[in-house]
Amino acid sequence: MEFGVGLFVIAGILCLGYLSIKLGRMEIFGGRGYEIYAIFSNTGGIKTGSTVVLAGVEVGRVKSISLENYQAKITLLLQPEVKIQEDAIASIKTKGLVGEKYIEITPGGSNEFIPPGGRIRETQPPVDLEDLISKILFEKI
Amino acid sequence: MSLIRLWILFLLLFGMTTPLFSGEPQEQLQQTTDKVLAILSDPNLKSPEKAKERRELILRVVDERFDWEEMARRCLARHWVQRTPEEKREFIHLFKELLQQVYMDKVEAYSWNKIQYEGETIDGNYGTVKVKIFTSKEQPIRVEYRLLKKGPHWLVYDFSIEGISMVNNYRTQFNEIIVKSSYRELIKRLKTKVSQP
Repeated sequence: MEFGVGLFVIAGILCLGYLSIKLGRMEIFGGRGYEIYAIFSNTGGIKTGSTVVLAGVEVGRVKSISLENYQAKITLLLQPEVKIQEDAIASIKTKGLVGEKYIEITPGGSNEFIPPGGRIRETQPPVDLEDLISKILFEKI
Repeated sequence: MSLIRLWILFLLLFGMTTPLFSGEPQEQLQQTTDKVLAILSDPNLKSPEKAKERRELILRVVDERFDWEEMARRCLARHWVQRTPEEKREFIHLFKELLQQVYMDKVEAYSWNKIQYEGETIDGNYGTVKVKIFTSKEQPIRVEYRLLKKGPHWLVYDFSIEGISMVNNYRTQFNEIIVKSSYRELIKRLKTKVSQP
């Protein structure tokens, strides 16, 4: 009887662990793939775990965000089969008008690819809609 | 004697540090911008009959600083490698015409009050220069130039206005047209766009 209860509790704990890892999008053994980084003047509120897409297809996630020389250094974990050209552009976009932020990579045409640990040189910070609207309003007057 | 030595030391130090205040990319970009501004403010070229001549003068100055081939290559991205040398030449020409058409009117229409240089970064052969352009409008326009060093010259290969990169914008548009229809279609559209007055 007691043995059955113990087994049940252990099974419950395992399920909980599995759920929290899945929901929290954590990786136990470190993610598969390779890392590259990009420097942005502004992250626009992107978070660890945000998606990285190429042509609308998810190819990786944001692994970490840190401050470097008053700029944001965003490390991306990309799938190993996805090669990024040296002249690709990484831009921070918003799903819809107020949706979550993600990083979009526009592939380049260079023959050189960014090696693991390398840097995407070309970046484009998110467009500040408020800023743009105020500019347009000022132009009108 | 020691005073002279001190003076020489001062001269040496001063002479060596002056170029450091603004690095090469900014210095070269500033030279180009100053030349363009001089042409724009030249009273002899203000009349409508001189408009064409003035445009050509500006273009010649801009030509020295802009790397059209690099820009065109980056805008076509993946589709650039598949082009024949002949097609590449045609595309560079059309692309140049397109940019001129889009931006020349703006350059000529604005009254340029002041250009403020906001700093530069150099990373190997790559550099960026940030500027703020003050026009008659209340808010300044933020422009960032991206330059690539070729020989002694720093050449512009991309610029972003209010954070939006020109190359990224055209790369997305061109790719969409090529994937949806064909490269020929893109050329056709560019030609019609360019031939519009």
